[in-house]
Amino acid sequence: MKPAPFEYHAPTTIADAAGLLADLGDGAKVLAGGQSLIPMLALRLAVFDHLVDVGRIAELHGIERRGDALWVGAGTTEAAVGASVEVASSVPLLAKATPFVGHFQIRNRGTLGGSIAHADPAAEYPAVALALDASMDVVSSRGSRTIAARDFFDGLWSTSMETDELLAGVSFPIWGGRCGFAVEEFARRYGDFALAGVAVAIELDGDDRVRRSALGLIGMGSTPERAVTTEAQLAGQPVTEVDAEEVGRSAVAGLEAVPSDLHGSADYRRQLGAAMVARAWRTASAEARHG
Amino acid sequence: MTVPTAEGSTRYAGARINRVEDARLLSGRGTFVDDVSLPGMLHACFVRSPLPRATIRSIDTKAALAMPGVHAVFTAADLNPDVNEQWHTSVGPEGPETPRPPLAEGEVRFVGDAVALVVAESRYLAEDAVDLVEVDYDPLPAVVDYTTAEQAATLVHESHGSNLIGQMSGLPASALQEVFDSAAHVVGETIYQQAYVPVPMEGRALAVDYSAPTGELTIYSATQAPHEVRLFCSRLLGVPEQKVRVIARDTGGGFGQKIMVQRDEMCIMLAARKVPGPLKWIEDRRENLIAAGQSRHEHAAVKMAFDAEGTIQAAQIDFVSDCGAYPTPWPVSTSSVVGALFPGPYRVPRASFTTKTMYTNTVGRTAYRGPWQFETLAREMLLDIAARQMGIDPMELRRRNLLRRDELPYTNANGMPFDHISPMETFEQALDMLDYPAFRKEQAEARAAGRYLGVGISNYVEPSSPGFGYYATEAATIRVEPSGKVNVYIAGGSTGNSIETTVVQLAADALGVDIEDVATIQGDTAVTGFGAGAAGSRSASMTAGAIRETAAILRERIKAIAAHKLEAAPEDIELGNSRASVRGTPTIGMSLGELARAAYFDPYSLPPGVPAGLEASARYTADTRFVWVNATHLCTCEVDVATGAVKLLRFIVSEDCGPMINPNVVEGQIAGGVVQGIGGVLYEHLAYDEDGNPITTTFMDYLLPTATEVPVIEYGHIETPSPGPGGYKGVGEGGAIGAPPAVVNAVADALAPFGVTVTRLPLGPTQIHALIAGNRG
Repeated sequence: MKPAPFEYHAPTTIADAAGLLADLGDGAKVLAGGQSLIPMLALRLAVFDHLVDVGRIAELHGIERRGDALWVGAGTTEAAVGASVEVASSVPLLAKATPFVGHFQIRNRGTLGGSIAHADPAAEYPAVALALDASMDVVSSRGSRTIAARDFFDGLWSTSMETDELLAGVSFPIWGGRCGFAVEEFARRYGDFALAGVAVAIELDGDDRVRRSALGLIGMGSTPERAVTTEAQLAGQPVTEVDAEEVGRSAVAGLEAVPSDLHGSADYRRQLGAAMVARAWRTASAEARHG
Repeated sequence: MTVPTAEGSTRYAGARINRVEDARLLSGRGTFVDDVSLPGMLHACFVRSPLPRATIRSIDTKAALAMPGVHAVFTAADLNPDVNEQWHTSVGPEGPETPRPPLAEGEVRFVGDAVALVVAESRYLAEDAVDLVEVDYDPLPAVVDYTTAEQAATLVHESHGSNLIGQMSGLPASALQEVFDSAAHVVGETIYQQAYVPVPMEGRALAVDYSAPTGELTIYSATQAPHEVRLFCSRLLGVPEQKVRVIARDTGGGFGQKIMVQRDEMCIMLAARKVPGPLKWIEDRRENLIAAGQSRHEHAAVKMAFDAEGTIQAAQIDFVSDCGAYPTPWPVSTSSVVGALFPGPYRVPRASFTTKTMYTNTVGRTAYRGPWQFETLAREMLLDIAARQMGIDPMELRRRNLLRRDELPYTNANGMPFDHISPMETFEQALDMLDYPAFRKEQAEARAAGRYLGVGISNYVEPSSPGFGYYATEAATIRVEPSGKVNVYIAGGSTGNSIETTVVQLAADALGVDIEDVATIQGDTAVTGFGAGAAGSRSASMTAGAIRETAAILRERIKAIAAHKLEAAPEDIELGNSRASVRGTPTIGMSLGELARAAYFDPYSLPPGVPAGLEASARYTADTRFVWVNATHLCTCEVDVATGAVKLLRFIVSEDCGPMINPNVVEGQIAGGVVQGIGGVLYEHLAYDEDGNPITTTFMDYLLPTATEVPVIEYGHIETPSPGPGGYKGVGEGGAIGAPPAVVNAVADALAPFGVTVTRLPLGPTQIHALIAGNRG
């Protein structure tokens, strides 16, 4: 379990990192916290000639309010996200998802950008980004662009970023008004990747009707999934008349690529997903109603 | 940190002494094999088969050998002809054995089978070179499912002529037919247990330093039995035993996996003489999970006959186990223990058993903490199923059948001679600790509220400290050094089981010295007498015997010298607090240092007939063939019926390992075993797909319980002395034997409202969910 040889690069600016990625081409991989990449290298499931370590780039760190969104630098550790008062008050869903990200030792090293760019469908941050319609700031030597979360995750461990692009930061829209947020997931052990989970956001109007809701499903497909049909059905419904179990069943109904392995069949995961959605819906709707 | 004795003095045995190993281990300063770094050291990595069964057509090592930093690439043709003899001491040279080529010869027999060995300047380079070794395989059909292996057309070992390795039996089933035919209740099930494994923190590891000029080999080994590594190596290479020195300072767990030398270690021993520097092999986690061995994979058809009151009339087990391609050791006789112990600590007048062991194209079976553990699992699961079917409380059913003290000694229906055990006492103590009636009330209230709690119990009796053959003796050398400090040399083989602490405690008591004055040297065959190592829950009783025998010689000598110097009679000399003093006049005495100085440096002042120096060696031969141990495990849980998740609430163990030498050590041993048992039921599964590919090759998929999955373990102790030294009994394996059925029965009890019968492990959330869904229709 030793990685194949690679050349190690440690740029200190985004521009230098982008330059390296442009020069090195397909043989290069961005190394952030290394919590997924290093084990994959050690098992030789992945082999790269060059690693571009972005851990020394100060511009990638930080949490700041930018208009109606909260910008989180891609290099910000998950532990820093979890400890941030700003995150807790502006994007509670992100704060609530953080304790589910591995163990604290992992969160001390792992980064928000690393998790989102790695795009594991069973990871929490990609589902939160998708649920909240976050936007990704992506930089290359060719320039910068912004990718909407719904266009970002395009397959298992795969994103719409080009190989010369670096994820610089993620902007999470701030939900105001009568909102509630909840994350529920089921893992074999505390800290394991979820067999099924969900990040739920709800906003109610003054009459307890659902103004909008967002359901980001974790571990239920080859990418994080958004239960858009369910969300559309819920819009305008009086929240007290919504059957949480029915929300759960509806949210998992259309899923086509639910994983299946030793730890759970697709059918089991679907039922788990429904149960997690129901639990999260109850918690989030109660929070939205009662604060 | 001492306990008072009847004579008013104090002793260390029985006290919660802090472990002497802890300072170095807890500060990260232990010396494991990978901590040994010698000048010019080379590193080994195996090329392993990716196929469960295939013919090896050719191996091309050219590209690997051409890589800078690579010293050698060995194949079977290079290493296997050097094998001189190849047998384990406990089995002997005559016993039947699986053909065991160090490197695969002509045919690979499981995914992970070692095909070639690369030696390079670093493990990194060695792994790079492994990727360059090209092996041309011709895939063959594989035997994956042990339950159909006997009928399979394909043979794992052509030379054996059958996939059935062997079988054993007790009384024929026909002898019990009448009892079963006429019984008021007959309860039968087929119980299945998945493969799960020891998972030591340190994998297997070996560093061999060969000196060409002298022909000597110094071997640093992660082992439970340093002397067995030495004997095995000496026979394997055909070198005299004195030329092999084995050193095992710290070993990061073994649990049975490191009792015997396996094929991979043989390769390192064989290769070490062919490379220009010391050779190190550190098994990584993936190798450990695919190649170090499997255990527990087995099933049995079991049945019991009861009379109308629930009294057991007869018990029968027909047991079959998966032994993989290269079991170590020959598994046939071990399997008979499952049959012989199936009746457990209960009054079972008639019993019969059959056992079968099967070859498959999977990793070979090795020992795992309580290798016969299935007898307890199957019996205790069946008793709960029986209780439910007969409408008797499961605790009451056991109470009616458990052996009582006044029935001992009791020879069970298969000839197992139980004595000095207390099954009823541990059972009642565990139930008291739980407050069983209170739990049933809580359970009923929870069910009314839609929550599902359960309680499960298991009772077992196990043989510890085998007193025969290779295991029958243990030696100690005790040296009171010229300063008066004491050093105890004992074979050791500690893999975390605190043998150093145990030895220091016992020696301090035996010589009447302060514990700070005692040290121990273990795990070095150059300075310790032969001992069979940490196996069979033998260390407590056997080291106690070795220290007792040796210390007796020294006590007599110390007393003789002191009596001579103090002008008193030897029988009036008392030893205590590192002093010898005259009984009734404690002010008249000499320190052990003063006595030692005289013994070493003033030999002419010693009384006639007393030899100079203060050192002695002796060997203890076991007083009994087995020391029986019993315990009760009791577990409560809550099952989330929406997800199938199990949360353990309480875990209680009442055990009788005789007088405790150190309760910390006893409880630590139990805790470790219990956690492994919990893992075996709820989390761990060494799984293969139907084509014979291992699918749990990292800790992403092979799930060990962690601190968040394990409840606080509560301990109760009953101390019934054994007839062995100090009355001590073995406690190393029991936790792993007792825990699994307690957990299974707790889950099954929680699911009772759904009409579920649990007969298969593991009980992961997906299996539990399916059980509930299946019974909901």
